[in-house]
Amino acid sequence: MIRSCGILCAAGGRVSFLLVGTLIGLLTGSQTHADNLLHHNGVGRVYDPYVQPLERELELRTYYQTDDDPIESDILRQRIGFGAAINERVFAELYLIGMKLPGSAMRLESYELESKIQLTEQGEYAADWGLLVELERQRSESIAELATTLLATRQWGDWVGTVNLGIEYEYGSNIRNEFDTFMSAQWRLRYRESLEPGIEVYADEFTHGIGPVLTGLVRGSENQKWHWEAGIIVPTNDTTPDYTYRLLLEYEF
Amino acid sequence: MAPSKHIPGYCGRKLKWRMRHLTAAALCCVAMSAQAQTPVFEIEIREHLFYPSELKIPAGQKVKLIIHNRDATPEEFESYELNREKVIIGNTQGIVFIGPLKAGEYPFFGEFNPKTAQGKVIVE
Repeated sequence: MIRSCGILCAAGGRVSFLLVGTLIGLLTGSQTHADNLLHHNGVGRVYDPYVQPLERELELRTYYQTDDDPIESDILRQRIGFGAAINERVFAELYLIGMKLPGSAMRLESYELESKIQLTEQGEYAADWGLLVELERQRSESIAELATTLLATRQWGDWVGTVNLGIEYEYGSNIRNEFDTFMSAQWRLRYRESLEPGIEVYADEFTHGIGPVLTGLVRGSENQKWHWEAGIIVPTNDTTPDYTYRLLLEYEF
Repeated sequence: MAPSKHIPGYCGRKLKWRMRHLTAAALCCVAMSAQAQTPVFEIEIREHLFYPSELKIPAGQKVKLIIHNRDATPEEFESYELNREKVIIGNTQGIVFIGPLKAGEYPFFGEFNPKTAQGKVIVE
């Protein structure tokens, strides 16, 4: 965990990222509680801290995991969202989240409301900062999560480093109420607009994974854009699935 | 009641109080001078064109770019080379910080009117 955060720290050599890496390492290292490990996968996406006024988007995310444990293998997750900027600093998005287990059909698992707040202008300070607030509610069980994530991005020449540090509170009658922490990070080369390769790291209570990612932007007519991301995350511990394939497609209009 | 100057340690406390305020004032001055040292440049958007369309800025220095959108419709200042993207609603202004940059030319365009709204930042 600390080692993975160190990728950014070493590359940047900046005190803020070092502190952040150390902090999250300590936080996750101190966790002792255990909620439901079954079918858990902490791989998501790495958020940048930027909001554009008037922006609207449709988003589709797909995660497919395989594992040598058949119970944790061949699991497909999908997330469909619609989002819109509320003002120059705040973007809100609503998601429907589904999961397909082996031998069963895709099933709507939960709903999520997400709000991203841009805290600083891009390039104004050494790093750009934002905040993400998420509220997720399971459809069939009394389980909910409220999460707050600090978003930070910094550019070094053609390289961009992004770190997301979050804390969430899980609550409901079907789960033990508890706090958890999580982090994700991305180190990306601005090679060309349509293709930017990088590396991503994910860590939470059970998931410790790292892997390559490709991202890009394709422009349509007028103000329409397609943003895509594809990656493979492999585990660095025993409780992370062997392979998590992730695909993201955003249509901005 | 105001403390007596004859109370033991009063002078020391007063000195510490003054030092704290001096330090705070000095930090404020540093912060303000750092802000003041960021050169400010301005661009206007009129009838879906950038004025000036070529903007010269110093190399190796961060600059603050104020973009005034004089049109009634929104425009997006966009540049992959500058790694900046900023939507500016009609009849408002937006702020974009760019740099420090190496000498060279960095094109930008208005994403809502890409055929007409084009320009470049010349760093020298």
